[in-house]
Amino acid sequence: MFEITDIQRDYITEILNISMGSAAAVLSEMVGEEVGLSVPEVAFLPRRVAADQFDLNNSAKMSGVTQSVSGAINGDALLMFPEEKTLTIVRILLGDTVPVESLTEMEQEAMCEIGNIILNAIVSSVANLLQKEIVSSLPRFISGTGSEIYAINTGCEDDLVMFLKVGFGLESQSINGHVTLMLNVPSLREFIAHLDEKINAL
Amino acid sequence: MHSDSNALNSITTEPGASDADSLFGKVLDLSEHGLFLVDSARKIVLWNEWMAQASSLARGDVIGRTFNEVFPELAGKRVASVIETALDMRTASLLSRSLNKSLFPLFSANGGGERKRIEQSVIVKPIQCDGRNYCLVQITDVTPMVQREEVLRVLAREAEAAQKAAEEISRFKSEFTSTVSHELRTPLTSIRGSLGLVSSGVMGELPLEVNKLVSIACNNTERLLFLINDILDIDKIESGKMDFVIGPVDLMAVLRQALEANQPYGEQYKIRYVLNQVMAGVAVRADTDRLMQVLNNLLSNAAKFSPEGAEVEINVLQNGAMIRVEVKDFGTGIPLQFQSRIFEKFSQADGSDTRKTGGTGLGLSISKAIMEKMGGGIGFETEEGKGTTFYIDICEMAPA
Ligand SMILES: Nc1ncnc2c1ncn2[C@@H]1O[C@H](COP(=O)(O)OP(=O)(O)OP(=O)(O)O)[C@@H](O)[C@H]1O
Ligand SMILES: [Mg+2]
Repeated sequence: MFEITDIQRDYITEILNISMGSAAAVLSEMVGEEVGLSVPEVAFLPRRVAADQFDLNNSAKMSGVTQSVSGAINGDALLMFPEEKTLTIVRILLGDTVPVESLTEMEQEAMCEIGNIILNAIVSSVANLLQKEIVSSLPRFISGTGSEIYAINTGCEDDLVMFLKVGFGLESQSINGHVTLMLNVPSLREFIAHLDEKINAL
Repeated sequence: MHSDSNALNSITTEPGASDADSLFGKVLDLSEHGLFLVDSARKIVLWNEWMAQASSLARGDVIGRTFNEVFPELAGKRVASVIETALDMRTASLLSRSLNKSLFPLFSANGGGERKRIEQSVIVKPIQCDGRNYCLVQITDVTPMVQREEVLRVLAREAEAAQKAAEEISRFKSEFTSTVSHELRTPLTSIRGSLGLVSSGVMGELPLEVNKLVSIACNNTERLLFLINDILDIDKIESGKMDFVIGPVDLMAVLRQALEANQPYGEQYKIRYVLNQVMAGVAVRADTDRLMQVLNNLLSNAAKFSPEGAEVEINVLQNGAMIRVEVKDFGTGIPLQFQSRIFEKFSQADGSDTRKTGGTGLGLSISKAIMEKMGGGIGFETEEGKGTTFYIDICEMAPA
């Protein structure tokens, strides 16, 4: 298992929370009400363990947004919520609801935009940290069980991912989701190396 | 990718008339999307025909001008800032129609010369070519999607309202049924009591003719009461209000009691109940009164549908993990086309008014609901003209 020190963890968490703050500001302005975003926890886990976090708690479906990143680091970034939470988020943010059980085409598009704002904020704070360019693709809406989403049983279940808890504060409720950066191993090593440089320079 | 960047070159390095003439310029002009390209100096370097039509700004009027000059009303808006980040940070962004009510000032010309604002979904993508950063903006007209969802929203709201109304009606119906039935039961009970007294002769001997009429009235009052009780039972089962006191029940005792109670009924139909096979001392998981109700119905049905002089055989046996009670008659049997509906409410093989047997067709549907509530089951085997065996399966339970 990949361990990071407490200092490394605190440092990443702080950087991510700053970028989440700006993403929250963008969202708040768009929907005209207070939206809070935070990253309370960061961990490095094998994909299998990340998938289990979803499948064990509730083997119900997850849904969310993914975009791929390339450049200084390569891989995929995902923002996932339990399916019914995704519905709640979109409908609270859009205000105007359609009483049907699943997201409509336009609501999926809106969810993609919300995910896009959050994932871009995270990716650009990582890029800032590395002081290198990371190109991000357009967001895509996805849904499935944990193992489907993390491509378990395809031989990559032991690959490490950077796993962030994300708190989404809306109106009177707060909704928990996860952001995962699925990076290849060289990307991860480079990320940690840069992290140490930054910390040492402090 | 290589030819792609050539195309970009040919368009972006020589703005003006020539780009429209190039093959790639023509292709872009045929696109059903609005496309424009902003360079790192924030200048617009490509503007396709769709954009020209929708914005009423000709290509010559925008190429070479900055994005802010062309769209001053968008300064400081999200779309302007994502173009900045696409150029500086190389991030791609999506601007949905739902979260960005009015994006670009773009209009569609429709027939009558009236111009309508185009509902848009916008994507902003970084592009790099020969070491220079560009940002591609692609606009999709999502007006049809917006209209589709508007229809969907209306339909879904209507469906929701209809559902509510239906629930309201069904609640009203069941409340009405149960109130009316309760109200009917009280006076009927007293009518039956009075008629019973009169026909028994305690009020004085009646002339034969009168006695006949009174006993018809008596029988029919009885039938009405049964019907009302059945309707109240169905209502209770359906609304989940039927109470069950589940515990170990001495099956043979209940069965003997049921046989005794049905004895007069059997005599009326000139049949004989025969307790053929027993399981002494067996206890089952049931509610005594409800189990009695089921047995009564099976025994009375068997009598009703048996020929005069026939026997009705009762067997108690082990059936796997369950205890089975069989009521076997040698009567008419159940017609094949009726078999699948037999447990439905008010279903009777002979639906005519002229049928000779009494009853309302509620007995078996109540029996089935009761057996299921007690964790048991009910079923039958039948052969037309030969007879029918109805059986119930109940869980065995250690005696109290
Ligand atoms: N043993 C049987 N042999 C032949 N037909 C039967 C037998 N038992 C039931 N049926 C058929 O199933 C119908 C429904 O039976 P059910 O007990 O539900 O109603 P019912 O006896 O007509 O009226 P109720 O029991 O409500 O007084 C009967 O009318 C009859 O057509
Ligand atoms: Mg009956």
